[in-house]
Amino acid sequence: MKHLIVWLTLSCALCRGGTLFCGAYPDWVLVIDESKGKVTERIHMTTGLPRSLRLSPDRKTIFVSTNDHSGFEVIDVATHKITNQFVLDTPTHRYRINGGAPDPQGKVLYASTTEIVKEVDRYTIGKPKYSIIDLTEKKIVKSVDQPEQPAGGRGGGFGGGGFEVSPDGKYLYQFGAKVTVLNSSDFSEVEKIDLEISGMPAENLGLGGLIEALSDPTQRVSIFNFSDKIVHNRVFGLARFDLNTRKFDFTPIGPAPSSLGGLHVTPDKKMGYAVSINGEGGNQRCEFMGIDLTNSRMARTSEVPCRTRFSFGISADGKKLYMYGAGYEIDVYDAVTFKHEATWNLENDMTGSMVVLP
Amino acid sequence: MKHLRPVNKKAQRIDDLVTAAGEDVVALQNQNPAQRPHIPMGCTLAFSPGWEVDSAGGTAGLCQPVERDIYDCYVTCFWPAQVPDHLNNYPDWASKCASATKDWRHLDLVFP
Repeated sequence: MKHLIVWLTLSCALCRGGTLFCGAYPDWVLVIDESKGKVTERIHMTTGLPRSLRLSPDRKTIFVSTNDHSGFEVIDVATHKITNQFVLDTPTHRYRINGGAPDPQGKVLYASTTEIVKEVDRYTIGKPKYSIIDLTEKKIVKSVDQPEQPAGGRGGGFGGGGFEVSPDGKYLYQFGAKVTVLNSSDFSEVEKIDLEISGMPAENLGLGGLIEALSDPTQRVSIFNFSDKIVHNRVFGLARFDLNTRKFDFTPIGPAPSSLGGLHVTPDKKMGYAVSINGEGGNQRCEFMGIDLTNSRMARTSEVPCRTRFSFGISADGKKLYMYGAGYEIDVYDAVTFKHEATWNLENDMTGSMVVLP
Repeated sequence: MKHLRPVNKKAQRIDDLVTAAGEDVVALQNQNPAQRPHIPMGCTLAFSPGWEVDSAGGTAGLCQPVERDIYDCYVTCFWPAQVPDHLNNYPDWASKCASATKDWRHLDLVFP
């Protein structure tokens, strides 16, 4: 009998899936149980429509940026309670916020902001700025004008891209048309690296993490495009950044497609999955790509029917792939066979990328 | 010297050579971006429901059904039809509609 109880307890623990957190219309963060494929809880956002979610480096907190009044809410992962919330907008000042990232202590957010001032007879739209948003004081405590950057980046402002923060909090990595390393204290440029982040633009708006599936706080691994200086041939490959030393290595894999969804990595860090998109409109074709991260080579690909707009994700155990966004459904695929398994109906349209936790 | 132009074949060849020297070599795999309509500002220029087109001027790039696209206009300005300006004036226009495909009738009409 004792063995049976132990066996039942173990099997129950093994069958338990992860938890997904997903922003949804009109003002909810949905909590989804992976094992059931259902919404188990709805967390209400009093500041409005959640635009993007970002997990803290210690994975204990989720930062939510909301759209209606440039708001922020902080969710405690353990209790699913809101621990902090505020809005930046005032009756005369509004902000657009992009590409934000929390510092290692979770006290401030670094972001690109554009201020919109309501004058007596017009709105004045300010220049994009790098900003530090203090979560305790609940306001922007420092802003610095952004330098103009070549088009092609994403994440707001001049298209400089989203941020990552080094583990010691001293440097910001801005992933856009190039990788720019900035001092976190004054946003002065330290270094520029000739690699372009490859990813679907919509994923990097707001506070959405660039490569959140990778849990190593000292290293970021993602798919980047590289263009040689002779014939400008674009290839995509894996780049590994050491966020402490600012060193990186790049392994080319193949010709760069029109668009490539961000890399999501299995918990054992052996496999990574991405979606490539070629063609436009009715000619759009999508392909799942399984990348062997041990050898940095393509392991398998398979064409999949994709939505016109979508986000891409992976389950907590790395066995399922998710295609979602632009609607209320999550399409679930097997990560080994790339076959469609199920469609989960959430009843609410989703926004931005979701956060996956074991 | 821009006022000078070649008047015979040899001069034309010299002119072509000089022009070609200024161009760059590009790998064949790099395709030129497709021609797109020029949209000077905003998501759409005219309020004409039923005539929505995607960013390439066609309809193949729209979501199916098209209601899936409605909400994205006011987040990324993708939807080519008009939606209320929630950033400044109508923040609650979608507060009664959880899913645009199913509940679009619950979206607020606004009268500026």
